[in-house]
Amino acid sequence: MDKVLEVKDLELKFVTRRGVFHALNGVNLELYKGEVLGVAGESGSGKSTLMLAIGGLLPSNAWVTRGEIVYMSKNIIQELVKEGDTKYVKKRNEKALKKLNEKLQSIRGSKISTVFQDPMTALNPVLQVGYQIAEAVYYHNPSVLARRILARYKATKDDMREILSILKNKEDYNEKLLKFIKGKNLEGLEEQVLFIWERNDLHDIKKEKLILSLAGEKVPRTALPFLYKIARSNKLERTPILSRFIKRILIKEGYRKAVEILSILKVPNPEKVVYMYPHELSGGMRQRVAIAIGLINNPEIVLLDEPTTALDVTVQAQVLDLVRSIRNKYSSSFIFVSHDLSVLYEVSDRIAIMYAGKVVEVGSKDEIVSKPLHPYTQSLLRAVPSIESEKISPIPGEVPDLRNLPKGCMFHPRCPYAMDICKNQEPPMYNLENGHKVACFLYGEKK
Amino acid sequence: MKLWLFILKRVIFAFITIIGITFIVFALLHVGGNNLLLSAYINPRLTGPAREQLIQQLTIRFHLNDPIYVQYFYWLQALFSGDLGYTNTPIYSGPVTTAISLFLPNTITLTIIAAILVWIIGIPLGVYSAVKRDSALDHSVRIFSFTLYSMPIYLIAFILIIIFGIELKILPYAFPINSVLASNLPWYKDGISYPTHIILIDALIHGNLTVFWNALLHAILPSLTLALSILAGIIRILRSSMLEVLDQDYVRLARAKGVPEKVVINLHARRNALIPVLTLYGYTIASLLGGTVVVESIFAYPGIGYWTTQAILVNDVGGIMAAALIFGVVFVIASLILDIVYALIDPRIRY
Amino acid sequence: MIELERNSELKNSLKIFFTNPTAVVGFIIFIIYVIDALIVQFAPWLLGIKNPNVLQENFVNPIPLPPSAQHPLGTTYPGIDLLKAIEAAIRIDLAFSLIIVLGGAAIGATLGIISGYIGGLLDDVLMRITDIFFAIPFLVLAIAVGFALGRTYESMIIALIIVWWPLYARYARAQTLSIKRTPFIDAARIAGVRDFKIMIRHILPNVLPPIFIQISLDLGSVMVIFSTLAFIGLIPNASLPELGYLTSLGLNYLQSAPWAVIFPGLAITLFALAVNLMGDGLRDVIDPRRRSS
Repeated sequence: MDKVLEVKDLELKFVTRRGVFHALNGVNLELYKGEVLGVAGESGSGKSTLMLAIGGLLPSNAWVTRGEIVYMSKNIIQELVKEGDTKYVKKRNEKALKKLNEKLQSIRGSKISTVFQDPMTALNPVLQVGYQIAEAVYYHNPSVLARRILARYKATKDDMREILSILKNKEDYNEKLLKFIKGKNLEGLEEQVLFIWERNDLHDIKKEKLILSLAGEKVPRTALPFLYKIARSNKLERTPILSRFIKRILIKEGYRKAVEILSILKVPNPEKVVYMYPHELSGGMRQRVAIAIGLINNPEIVLLDEPTTALDVTVQAQVLDLVRSIRNKYSSSFIFVSHDLSVLYEVSDRIAIMYAGKVVEVGSKDEIVSKPLHPYTQSLLRAVPSIESEKISPIPGEVPDLRNLPKGCMFHPRCPYAMDICKNQEPPMYNLENGHKVACFLYGEKK
Repeated sequence: MKLWLFILKRVIFAFITIIGITFIVFALLHVGGNNLLLSAYINPRLTGPAREQLIQQLTIRFHLNDPIYVQYFYWLQALFSGDLGYTNTPIYSGPVTTAISLFLPNTITLTIIAAILVWIIGIPLGVYSAVKRDSALDHSVRIFSFTLYSMPIYLIAFILIIIFGIELKILPYAFPINSVLASNLPWYKDGISYPTHIILIDALIHGNLTVFWNALLHAILPSLTLALSILAGIIRILRSSMLEVLDQDYVRLARAKGVPEKVVINLHARRNALIPVLTLYGYTIASLLGGTVVVESIFAYPGIGYWTTQAILVNDVGGIMAAALIFGVVFVIASLILDIVYALIDPRIRY
Repeated sequence: MIELERNSELKNSLKIFFTNPTAVVGFIIFIIYVIDALIVQFAPWLLGIKNPNVLQENFVNPIPLPPSAQHPLGTTYPGIDLLKAIEAAIRIDLAFSLIIVLGGAAIGATLGIISGYIGGLLDDVLMRITDIFFAIPFLVLAIAVGFALGRTYESMIIALIIVWWPLYARYARAQTLSIKRTPFIDAARIAGVRDFKIMIRHILPNVLPPIFIQISLDLGSVMVIFSTLAFIGLIPNASLPELGYLTSLGLNYLQSAPWAVIFPGLAITLFALAVNLMGDGLRDVIDPRRRSS
């Protein structure tokens, strides 16, 4: 499997008036293509901070002192770390972060997207939901929208009839469809056609009618050349008045795409929902909107920061189902952050456990749950109430103060197996079989 | 609750408030045992036996020999039937209702221009002061608005006059229009223009662009004074509201989506930040009316405020009573309109 | 033990206040004004003022003169030395502002606490009354009331107190309501403490700090409004040193002697600025939420 993302020895601190918080203390993590990686940890473990770092959303008081985040063979946080830098200079840090933000503009939201924890606060209350989804496409891939419009404009009813005959053939229509569309220069049509065809809430006859109606879309004459230009170059139009006009057309198309993706996410009545405001929707629907924003550009990596924490348990289950089902449709890799191991077990392929800013254990979900190696993981599993067990054993002690981390292994004050060496040295990550890694001296000899 | 229900409630409340204002004015008219009511309704042009007769009629009409609550009722009746008494001031003598129709338009002109100025100057300053927090721009804006806030209106007016009118000589600072120019206009007499009584519009109606421009220039300094007097409050609220909004998750998400920073600020952030500002904006615009009292006197601009100061100086009861009522009523109506606009803009209130 | 805690809390608060540079500056300016007022009150001869309640007119040289060694701030019509006049006027304006604000605060806060504590119909009625008062621009209300009461300084003060009390009533009521819900009020009631005592002993001390801040902020606003009223001539010519009145004296000489009009205005502005900064500083002390920003 290919590695899609790698975090190498990332060290990050937050500089505030109340002290310097050591949020990430040497994080090592790998993400493989197409997998769902669960990241577990309590509050203060650094999991959210890690998401911010990967997603390029660090606040201005974030100070990266060491490490790399490698995406597409490039270290995307290169500007932030300077060799031999030992002091925090506010202005310099802010400038570096600003430059980083500009550089990451093209990646954020299109190749690496983030889904936030609380959909109520993550969605702008005064903008329509459809607009907020359409925006994500408009600013990254306007050519997609332009091509869709142009494809409908160019297609004729005959073309559509041929497409219908391909679809009705039932075997392997995907390839044949794509070949046909490519041949007729109608890129952008396939997803619209497939969306209608694969809906299961419509009668076949209705589907045919809808597909036929896709042909011959009317486009204002003045807009045409610009749409062609955008379809080719994927750059937005800049002239002052005209750009507004074009933007309106493209955003409208974005609303259509939003309807498609919301329908895939099983939102009922998506045509109505796109015109609504966030406060008019239920929690589950809002979270689906947030996920839609995260997925609509077909990103390579989707970061989900506790997407289910703010939701009721029943809705939680729905959302988890959803995440599982979209895996097959989109070839993205997911990082799913949660403090709830049971949730992670449901969705992930592999699980990483974080504590006090470090990854202490990582492995396949079955290995982690059935053979937890790190004492912290073990106590986490014991601390989860289950229907069978009667005892809940909370972990003794408290989460360490990030301003004042303990020496050596950060878990040693609370670890039932703490040895002398744990108090003085930080354990390295030991590679065990099946890709199971753990950072604990207990497994030192087994190298 | 539904939109129309909300509006209905507000309208009823506005109505009650207006009644309350009449009550206060009525109480004031009877303070100290004086029956000022009478003097407010006597046509100043009447003298001698005609005057005596009028007093008799008024006594009967307003039931002045009956208990006070009866008097209140009849006075209210007179108000609602459009009779607000007479005013006798140097600038105008006659029925109050006519005076209002002559002077109110000028005040409204100034208020509207001031409102536009506040919007044009205040919004960008407030937004950028928040976006570039703690920068030189931010600090200077804050110092500037803090100082303005502490200045009495007349001082702002004088400083503007001295800088622009006297030293730089680029803006006029008295009267709504150049008197030489005015003397040649058949449709402009004694500070009042016809037919709409709003000089700017009348100039356009009569197709006289020179006059229009001249009138506009004359209106700038008074409007600017009004605008500056409330600018500070607006900027302060907008800045703190914007700071709060910029911290919100949805702003971060917008950036995470790749929305360019300019759009993040001007669309996503600003639209939310403006919501609390709007309520203040409306309130302060409406209370500009109080400011016009000073500004119009300084700039000799014939509006309601100017009329009010004149009324004060010559002890014209009719004028003062009318002024109190008008200012109160206009304020209440403006607040009502504002509340409705607010409900329309913030989708959360709509349902 | 409790004594010690109280003392150190006071010290702590003072410390926070004095680390805020703008607040300290405001405080110093405020003190200067107060000292000036006291000197004029008790020892006016120190500043060369013969009668602090009357402006020293000089008809020999009535036309305003620019600032010079003899008249550091110049003179205004008719021949009044601005520096002395402003010094005398500060005492008057300061006194008036204090009376108005303290009067309004006392009345308003009392009504607000009672209304908030007792609640019910009384509370509703009071709320509506304050709403109506808020609906009228205060300048107009002040004019109307002042006019009705006769155009003297005393009636102006009463007028402004009437304009000002609703603000404090609202403020105090809001505070009272939020305290009313705390359990220790209920506990006191169950223990049989009489309502009146509750209001004084428990509610008042909690209402006072924000009211206090508001008072310090309002001192500036009231002085501005009061001088504006005097300026437009609501108070007839009484030759009393008052900053607004002083300003109006120089009206005709705007072009030739701008200082006559600017300096009295600046005196007010400076005071309002100082008092605002001071109030902000006090707010930082009393409202702990603002400290950590």
